[in-house]
Amino acid sequence: MNADTQSRNRFSVPLPVGALLVVVLVFVMLKLIRPVIPQSVILLYMGFVVLGVVIHLTLDDDRIRRFWNFFVRAGDEGPVLRAQRWALLAVLPLVAGWWAYDAVRPRYTPPVEIFQRHPTVGEEVLGRIQVPEWAANPAKWRAEDIAEGKKLYAANCAVCHGEKLDGNGPAAAGFRYPIRPADFRDVGTIAQLTMRYVYWRMTTGGIQNQFNSPMPRWVASADGPQVSTLHSYDFTPEEGWKVIIYLYRATGYEPRKEELRDYKSH
Amino acid sequence: MACARRLVTRYLFVVTAVAAVFEAGVAAAQGAPLAPEYAAPALMDSRLVVWVAAQLHLDFAAFVLAVPMFALVIEFFGWRMAKHDAAAATRYDWLAHEMARLLPAAYSLTAITGALLGFILFSAYPRFMGYLTNTFGPTFVVYPLFFVAETLCLYFWYYAWDRLQGDRKWAHLVLGLFLNIFGTIVMFIADAWATFMMTPTGVDHQGALVSLYDAVWNPGWMPLNIHRLIANITFGALLCAAYAAYRFLSARTENERALYDWMGYTGNLIALFTMLFLPFAGYYFGFELFAFSATYGVTLMGGVLSWLFIIQAIVIAILFIGAAYYAWLGLLRIPGSEPQRRWIPAFNVILILGFMVWATPHTMAASIEESTGQFHPLLGALGLMAPKMIAVTLVLVVLYVSYLLYRRAGKVLTVPWARTGTIVEWGLVGLTAFAITALGVYGYFAPADVRIATSIWQIVVLIAGIVVTFVLDLLLLRGSRTVAEVRWGSMPRRGQYVLVTLAFVIVWLMGLMGYARSGARLNWHVFGIVQDTSASAGLPTLGEAAIMVTLITVVFFALLAIAFAISAMAERGAPPRLAPGTREPAATSEGVRT
Ligand code: HEC
Repeated sequence: MNADTQSRNRFSVPLPVGALLVVVLVFVMLKLIRPVIPQSVILLYMGFVVLGVVIHLTLDDDRIRRFWNFFVRAGDEGPVLRAQRWALLAVLPLVAGWWAYDAVRPRYTPPVEIFQRHPTVGEEVLGRIQVPEWAANPAKWRAEDIAEGKKLYAANCAVCHGEKLDGNGPAAAGFRYPIRPADFRDVGTIAQLTMRYVYWRMTTGGIQNQFNSPMPRWVASADGPQVSTLHSYDFTPEEGWKVIIYLYRATGYEPRKEELRDYKSH
Repeated sequence: MACARRLVTRYLFVVTAVAAVFEAGVAAAQGAPLAPEYAAPALMDSRLVVWVAAQLHLDFAAFVLAVPMFALVIEFFGWRMAKHDAAAATRYDWLAHEMARLLPAAYSLTAITGALLGFILFSAYPRFMGYLTNTFGPTFVVYPLFFVAETLCLYFWYYAWDRLQGDRKWAHLVLGLFLNIFGTIVMFIADAWATFMMTPTGVDHQGALVSLYDAVWNPGWMPLNIHRLIANITFGALLCAAYAAYRFLSARTENERALYDWMGYTGNLIALFTMLFLPFAGYYFGFELFAFSATYGVTLMGGVLSWLFIIQAIVIAILFIGAAYYAWLGLLRIPGSEPQRRWIPAFNVILILGFMVWATPHTMAASIEESTGQFHPLLGALGLMAPKMIAVTLVLVVLYVSYLLYRRAGKVLTVPWARTGTIVEWGLVGLTAFAITALGVYGYFAPADVRIATSIWQIVVLIAGIVVTFVLDLLLLRGSRTVAEVRWGSMPRRGQYVLVTLAFVIVWLMGLMGYARSGARLNWHVFGIVQDTSASAGLPTLGEAAIMVTLITVVFFALLAIAFAISAMAERGAPPRLAPGTREPAATSEGVRT
């Protein structure tokens, strides 16, 4: 008994139909998940699924033959099989057509952006930032500086980053794209950044620069670099460092060291 | 033989010419500290030109360095076998020689691309190259010496193959050993320059040399050496497999087809095996970079280059899936392997699901409509370390089980405890998989430091499981009866196309990660010390980088195709004859050498 008649006698789904069903089923399932999965990720997943299906269909020559034979009419085939064949032949071009249409139809959303968690900054820029002595060594941080930093944080940063530094301030929900305010307790933010980098983030910001970040910047104003104005975007450098040491103390993280080892003559 | 000698002289000429260009460049650069800073010798963006030349050179160099390593090991095995199994010895010797067959052509391409690279570097970046040659003076003198020594060894090793047989085989092996030693030294020296540019030590802040020793043995040096040694072998083995596939597809006799089937199988096996060590070497290298400068951490892990690692994860998944598919198709070589093949569809599902988890990005490219601003509850969870570790380790279990099934196919166990043994064996494999999953789930909910410990334990459990079951398998198979032989050459043609695809993928991956390594310096020639102030100092966009990498890969394959064709033309007498049967193709010693 050959495999064709065997599969025809048993109640079973022909290979091509089964393959299509698997692909469609996975796709629909992925589409139904809420909150939605980004299109880019669905594409990635579907790539793997299609690859798996192709492997499944070509594991041996018999499968390949069964696959193609499905499309060839046999004398003794029943109406069910014939219906499946015609359905498949109708569905495939429709899917392809819809896909093409979907790719070119007008959209109003801006193109997908690839977001970088930490914008890249040149060594020559960071190199110009000097950490003042009193802030450089976590062991020597003074309580009053940290307390001062806390006040500045509450006045300037907490709206977004939250009183608890968890990225859940009252304004946080307004930031949907590309990313919400950082949760400083997460290991992925200040814990792996150097103080100079955090300072650069804070003073250079995003909105005013080319960096794709919704965060404004806090920087000494040009006309009065040393003037402290608690509720403006003007930080003196000293205030900036105080906020930063507060961030680290309050989360319990140590700033990332510039170099983790002692390197000879460099 | 006369033809061979002519080839040798020709190649020696190439080498001397290359060395001369190189030395002239060095001399010119040393004599001209106030040379113009930048020039555009190719009338286009020098950084792009250097990129293409450097990557092509590295691709060929990787191949040329790696192949003699495993070819020598295979040759050595053959030599050891000569006493008790002459046919197997002939076969192995043939295999080693086939692997080495691409070397002469590839070697001249290495030299040519190397000379091109040197030429472009010295003419486009005269001042910087002047700095580098001044700093590394002595190494620039030794380098060509070792290069010439390597060349000599290579051509003699390759062309004296047939002469140094029998009693003189040991001399041939020694020659091969020296070839490998010189080749490794050459790579280590070049690595010193490349890593000095990334993690410079041994110089003061102005870049003046303090200690040549520290400049050479900079923090990135050993990690890159190790990473390259291993990756080269994966790379070289996959290219050899692709060559075998090409020969398989164009074979005219059954015998040839069988032999090249075996060669492709071996190449793929070597590649898979070495690939398993690559992540560790990669972590080591990455760790040293991060330790050296926080900026590397930001650039590679969260900044501009972080997306390359997501692409890398996808590409690695494709490599493994392709290799697994090839292995599964391999079961078709064994008639009567249906009981083993039954499992494959299930394995396929695990593999695909595993790699879907593995490739799930932590940060996603989302449109404004899709973005919730937060980590996606499902994808965010899958994108974490713990689920990915479960996924890869389970995938490795599946690959290992596929291998066990391959060993079992076509055999009937004869030991009295066969049934119990088999149940225990599969039980242990299942237990391993379960333990890995359990550890992973536990690690997912545990704090970070525990999580790292559990992932190490997962690896330990995996290795322990493999060792125990493999020993059990050896015992089980003792004295087993073979009812169906491996029919080499009966592999479906699509399996050969898989090998070619894998070769393409690894070359592309190497290009991509080569870009990550070099691009991580951003706008610095020597990180933090010599800045690139030219107009082309910036990084390309991801899309441009991908196009460049693809372009380089295509050019590489075009050049390689020429090498394939040349090598296939230089046929050297009939290949060993195969008696169908045995796990490896059998051969008789007649008609092998001319
Ligand atoms: C208007 C809302 C808002 C305010 C106010 C704000 N931030 Fe942010 N901040 C964000 C957002 C959104 C992000 C995440 C986007 C990004 O990383 O660019 C962010 C990111 C950061 C990061 C980067 C973390 C990383 O992983 O790279 C730092 C550091 C930071 N903020 C510090 C501060 C400090 C200090 C203040 C107060 C002086 C502050 N922010 C005030 C919105 C805000």
